Amino acid sequence: MNIFGKMKGTTQSPPRVGSSEVVWSWIGAFLGIALVGSFQSLIVDSIDRNLLIGSFGATAVLVYGAIRSPLAQPRNVLGGHVLSAIVGVLSFQIAGDITWLAAALAVSTAIALMHVTKTLHPPGGATALIAVIGGDSIHNLGYFYALIPVGLGAILLLAVALVVNNMAGKRRYPEFWL
Amino acid sequence: MKKQCDPLMLTDDDILDAMQALQGYVDITPGTFKEIYSISYDLALKRIRSLGKAEEIMTAPVHCLNKEMSLTEAASFMAEHGISGAPVVDGKGIVCGVISEKDFLRKMGLPTTAGIMSVVGECLTVNKCLVSGLRDHYVHEIMSQPPISAREETTLAEISQLFTNHSINRIPICNMDGFPLGIITRSDLVSSMCQTV
Repeated sequence: MNIFGKMKGTTQSPPRVGSSEVVWSWIGAFLGIALVGSFQSLIVDSIDRNLLIGSFGATAVLVYGAIRSPLAQPRNVLGGHVLSAIVGVLSFQIAGDITWLAAALAVSTAIALMHVTKTLHPPGGATALIAVIGGDSIHNLGYFYALIPVGLGAILLLAVALVVNNMAGKRRYPEFWL
Repeated sequence: MKKQCDPLMLTDDDILDAMQALQGYVDITPGTFKEIYSISYDLALKRIRSLGKAEEIMTAPVHCLNKEMSLTEAASFMAEHGISGAPVVDGKGIVCGVISEKDFLRKMGLPTTAGIMSVVGECLTVNKCLVSGLRDHYVHEIMSQPPISAREETTLAEISQLFTNHSINRIPICNMDGFPLGIITRSDLVSSMCQTV
């Protein structure tokens, strides 16, 4: 067994991005999260719903900071979030009494489902987890959780990504749709 | 000329198959990989061409033939050293030509595109040994001259251009006075591309 040999790694970390990349990532993330956050206070508050969930912070890293990644493409963002949300709600309904079991089931099944459907999106794991550990306000939504906040938030983040990333001279987004 | 230096064209299918062979999830699209590949290919070519000098990749010392050698001696010399061609030097040791299998074949009346199979085929059908005609001839009669040679500080870019422009397969590397220092073959040039990265 060569476990320790494999642990040494084989290559080096990729180069730092240029400063214009840093600026565009900042602008995109600021506008994206701002839009989702303000949507919450403008519209969703009236129906008492939480639009800004933690996993959107992670999505912002991808769709504004690593836009060439397959993980950051529209198919993955929307598919990954919505499918994981459904898995999360289902896991809570099946095993919600035992939080650790429901949480583990939610995250692991979400990853497997995203793999199979070619929608792998890391923040989806958080979306599934939040469905279990997000408290009563999330639990009360039931499967609606997959539409609002998850689906709507993901669409808003994507809309900002499509505009901002294509305004930047050296960027283009997306790499693919389907 | 430009076409020969284009990177090996990868198709999207090649890349997808390669990604599948890696098994795990690879966080890059085939399109991005292709871009990185073609840019790094250009960079590698530029680096190799601008940095490489003939002396770094030449085989030295080089086995030379004397122009007064008979073809019989020349053939056994080349066979003994496992080479298919060599620089020819004059009495003073200065390179005055290059000899290769091609020159032998031409002398035997075969087209320059001929190979060992043409010799075999010809011998079996005509039923006479083509090679016997080579007896009593000397290296200087059939060698290619004047020799196309390069200096030890010639860049590999220029060497590859000489290979292409003159359709030759080996080039002697000489010092200022024309004394042989080494030799570079096409395959030397190819393997030099795979050295340090």
